[in-house]
Amino acid sequence: MDWGKLKFFLGEVFTNFTRNAAMQVTAIGTVAVTIVMLGSFLYVRDTIASVGSGLLSKIEIAVYLTDGTGAAKVTAIAAKLAADPRVASAEFVPKREGLRRLQQVVGSDFDTSLLTTNPLPDAFRVRVRRPADVPGLAAHIATWAGVAKTDYAADTVDKLLRVVDVLARIGLVMIGLLVFTAAIIIANTIRLTVFARRREIAIMQLVGATNMYIRMPFIAEGMLAGVLGATLALGVLYLARIEVIPKLAQMLAFVPFQANEGLLALECLAVGAAVGMVSAWLSVGRYLRA
Amino acid sequence: MISLRGVSLTYANGVRALDDIDLEIAKGAFVFLVGHSGTGKSSLLKLLYREMTPSAGNVFVDGIRVDTLKRRKVAQLRRNIGVVFQDFKLLAHKTVWENVAFALQVTGARTKDVMRQVPRALDMVGLAHKSRMFPSELSGGEQQRCAIARALVNNPKLLLCDEPTGNLDPSNTTEIMELLQRINLKGTTVRVATHNQAVVDRMRRRVVRLEDGRILHDDERGFYFGGLGQTQVLSG
Repeated sequence: MDWGKLKFFLGEVFTNFTRNAAMQVTAIGTVAVTIVMLGSFLYVRDTIASVGSGLLSKIEIAVYLTDGTGAAKVTAIAAKLAADPRVASAEFVPKREGLRRLQQVVGSDFDTSLLTTNPLPDAFRVRVRRPADVPGLAAHIATWAGVAKTDYAADTVDKLLRVVDVLARIGLVMIGLLVFTAAIIIANTIRLTVFARRREIAIMQLVGATNMYIRMPFIAEGMLAGVLGATLALGVLYLARIEVIPKLAQMLAFVPFQANEGLLALECLAVGAAVGMVSAWLSVGRYLRA
Repeated sequence: MISLRGVSLTYANGVRALDDIDLEIAKGAFVFLVGHSGTGKSSLLKLLYREMTPSAGNVFVDGIRVDTLKRRKVAQLRRNIGVVFQDFKLLAHKTVWENVAFALQVTGARTKDVMRQVPRALDMVGLAHKSRMFPSELSGGEQQRCAIARALVNNPKLLLCDEPTGNLDPSNTTEIMELLQRINLKGTTVRVATHNQAVVDRMRRRVVRLEDGRILHDDERGFYFGGLGQTQVLSG
């Protein structure tokens, strides 16, 4: 390792970085705001996703069989269900068992012993692996021989899926715009440093520095702004995490507040660094070509 | 070392800076390129280090065809060409030592080589004792010597000087020209663009005189005017 080279490089980056301190603060601030929004969004999205999948995983497709379906037919349907990759589990509920469960649900309000015949058909209770498969699978099973009809909480599933989807889209658009803004501000900051250093750059080009070499300090500078902004944002998010989330969790007891926080932090840092690097690359590149 | 064949340069605004120039300069030569301001002296130098490309004709430097050189190979070309300007182009916030070292550092040179070559270049121009000073603390002649040290630190085969004494008084001018001659004696081709008549006439080196983008005369041991005229020295 050539420490002299490293020292020279870091010295150049540091001089760059401190030359437009006010603009750097603006750039770091914009990145920080962006990352706070991004981090909150990702956290909320994770939480909604876990609420959604928690609910959806409890949704079953009820497969009602035609009355009088024979045992052989029931076995065949059970085998077909087991073979379908979308099916997580399928439980056969004979009509007697169905009635017993109904009795448990309605309790003493309704005395099933008053019934002279059992009105419930034999049924399968099917759980799926991915909630999104519920509508398609239900429609598919309904076409099988021996199946009278299938049923699931159609509205609930569809609405939940749609809400999650719409939220994700809105969030992505917002974050896209914020990232774009941050990139523009960083690019402008870098352009100011490039302008302040145009003499150095001219001399570098004159003595035969490669464009790649000329770019590097600026890219390092952009990355530094991005990472500093992201770190600042993670600090804010951490405070929010320990101050706000416990209170929210008390108010919304049914919501499981959970997200992979380590991964989220890494994602935020990576986004900050990438925004800084890419915008620096573009703004220096334009100058070098001129 | 340098070979220009049918070189013309027309600016975007239609001005013809150079018109069908043919010029051969041997390795190890010391050549003045002279002429009035605006006769294309600087443009001709710029063609050599690929700051510009000609509208027509070929430019060869040390066997490399410069006019069609790919952009990413330009850096390598320039490491073999030192350039000195009238306004020195030193970095004000760097010391003499740092200014010279900068030329090596930005080409990715190893620290070991920087530590060896910078003192050597400073020695050659006689600035070793002022290596910790900033350009603002030096005289004009010393600043130009620093710029020459920077141009030489890469051990270029060709040294181009665009009006190197344009900002200097007569005694500093003599000092710089003597330095350029010493450098030339060590084997570097030196090409000086100048309009300083006294300098050219005293040195009696090859003089190429440009006028309106054409070579007016080319004398092996010439005067500025070849009897008349203005001088530019290209050093390489």
